[in-house]
Amino acid sequence: MTTHTSTAPRSASHPRGVNRGRGLRAVPFLVPATLLYVYFLAYPMVDSVRLSFFEWSGFRTEEPVWVGLQNYVRLFTADPVFWTAAKNSIIWVALSLALPVTLGLLIALGLNRAMLGRNTMRAVIYLPAVFAPITVAAMWRWIYNPTLGALNQFLTAVGLESWAQQWLGDPTFALYSVFAASVWTGVGFTMVLFLAGLQQVPPELVDAAKVDGAGRWQVFRNVTVPALRPTTAVVVILTIINSLKVFDLVVGMTGGGPAQSTQVLALWSYTQSFANHTFGLGGATATVLLIMSLALVVPYLVWALRGDDR
Amino acid sequence: MTTTTVRRRALIAATLTGALALTACNSGGEADGGDDQLTIWMLTNEDSRVEAMDLMTSGFEEANPGVEIVVEERGTDAHKDAMRRAAGTEAGPDIYWYWRGPGLGGELVDLGVSLDMTEYYEEYGWDDRFTEPALANITQYGGYHGVPWTVQGQGIYYNKELFEQAGITDLPTSYDELVAVADQLAAAGTTPMALGGTVNWHVMRLLDNLLETFCGAETADRLNTEQTGWDSEACVTEAFTELQTWGDEYLNEGYMGVAQEDSAQLFFQGNAAMTIEGTWFNQQIVDNGMDPENVGVFLFPTDTNRIYGFGEGPYVNAMSDNPDLAAEFLDYITSAEIQEQVYQAWGAISVNREVEADTSNPLNSAWVEYFANAEGIFTNNDQNLSLEQTTEYWRIQNSVLTGDIAPEDAGTTFQGFVDSSS
Repeated sequence: MTTHTSTAPRSASHPRGVNRGRGLRAVPFLVPATLLYVYFLAYPMVDSVRLSFFEWSGFRTEEPVWVGLQNYVRLFTADPVFWTAAKNSIIWVALSLALPVTLGLLIALGLNRAMLGRNTMRAVIYLPAVFAPITVAAMWRWIYNPTLGALNQFLTAVGLESWAQQWLGDPTFALYSVFAASVWTGVGFTMVLFLAGLQQVPPELVDAAKVDGAGRWQVFRNVTVPALRPTTAVVVILTIINSLKVFDLVVGMTGGGPAQSTQVLALWSYTQSFANHTFGLGGATATVLLIMSLALVVPYLVWALRGDDR
Repeated sequence: MTTTTVRRRALIAATLTGALALTACNSGGEADGGDDQLTIWMLTNEDSRVEAMDLMTSGFEEANPGVEIVVEERGTDAHKDAMRRAAGTEAGPDIYWYWRGPGLGGELVDLGVSLDMTEYYEEYGWDDRFTEPALANITQYGGYHGVPWTVQGQGIYYNKELFEQAGITDLPTSYDELVAVADQLAAAGTTPMALGGTVNWHVMRLLDNLLETFCGAETADRLNTEQTGWDSEACVTEAFTELQTWGDEYLNEGYMGVAQEDSAQLFFQGNAAMTIEGTWFNQQIVDNGMDPENVGVFLFPTDTNRIYGFGEGPYVNAMSDNPDLAAEFLDYITSAEIQEQVYQAWGAISVNREVEADTSNPLNSAWVEYFANAEGIFTNNDQNLSLEQTTEYWRIQNSVLTGDIAPEDAGTTFQGFVDSSS
């Protein structure tokens, strides 16, 4: 059998006018998705930024009043919760990049080799990811219950009574207790992404490295890690975005409390808009969150894509 | 596939998309229909309330042929959100269910969403129909806004057996006696009071009562209406100091990480001797397997003789096309005949003074007596303060309990927020 492979670009075989015609014909098919995207994503985002320069209760009977940068000034200088929420969001991002990503990679490496019950273990570890966050929150709230919860009862049963805590009631522990639930539910998804990435590592490169005398660590560092680069980029970007917009677990487990100590920017923006009826402040908080997201994601994306080009 | 076919399909797709977009632009029409339709927006009803609503709407429709009543139910936040979006437009209902108090119901009154029903009160003689505490909720904004539906009282529910085991024979009649009771219970190894901290408003009930106790009725009202500063009244510090004491010594372990329904279980299971709940709790006690004979209720000993309570009920939308029909419906459902059949779905006592309370549950009888002897109501502060202030009030309350804000700084911190937000 003879295979003919053309190296010329496919488009080069078509006259320019035909391409333009195909492009125009595609437009109507793209319109519905574009309209939905603009209406449900782009417009609310732009409108949220616009609202951050107004004072508005959200009632249509009241006209938004232009206040310039006043909401931002109030947010940065007089809002009693904003800086706590900002700090918690940054802690959440840092911990998410450190723990679930590392754990997901280690588990993926462990479960990428042939072993008995491999698929069952993969399924078990991935299982929490399919639960709705609010369900996860309810489960963990019970686990953390100071008197009836499984965690304190377990600690008491094994003689570690002094370790028992008010996991969600003590501001010292509350944020990290919620984060533990996030790790439980999130690590499976990270594992699946890394497992998919590991399938792309060329086995001939691994074999070649071994023939050259490379040890396990050297193979991992010089072959596996570079080959996982695109997967890692996806995992890191998704982790950052998901961390900055964390909302449902916090709402379900603490509601931002105690005393706003587990408050995060996404929830604080929602609270200001829909609970406090201060849509200007809510918009300002959302805008800060948007800038933070872009500041974290864009540089990493540029760096990761440059790496791909190399 | 020929190019002509592709173009035709593209044209059809574009036409359909355009039509869809136009349809979307035209959506969100009026909720109410013609002259003979009443639309009611209210909170999601439990089964007993659904039955009661059916009874009222079907009864009115039968008595008024051609009239149709449409009830739309939503969860608490969704309901508030719907009202916010519909306020001042013709998309709203004829009658909306809302809370009383300057912070919630009052906000909509200020925005002109509620119809002043003075003329209907005169026409139907409603001033004579309703109890005084119920009417006070209606007239608090000036004029008459809405009609009374519930007046919920809140007090300290206690487990008689646990009180007996701790050697408590007399109910406390002063704050010092209440603290002594709590001490006795704690000494007997019983958790004196169960509250859930994650929902904020549950622990707030304790703080509101402490403010009423230490500031007195007049100053407490002046604080809530910004007529005096939270930083200039010494009683504010006293109240927050006592709140901290209750948190440290008398509340259930880990209360800050426990929701209200979880803390209620501590009470139902006999693991805590007291809790602060309201008239709706009378039925919940039975539903959760407690014998109401083994439970008592007494008012928090504030020494002001006011009941800690709040109201909720229907208001008429100022934008309604059918205010007369709406008033007629409200007259029908608050009549003694209908109230006798439905009031228990919402509370222990009817707002209609002719309707006697069902005393088969002994806790209902207790509330009848308390309401008869009270000299007014003081409302939960999440209904007094603005929404923004309430969030901060809760943060400070919880920060005092966690030790992050000293009680003596609580008033100053809150006043600082009030000043900066206004």
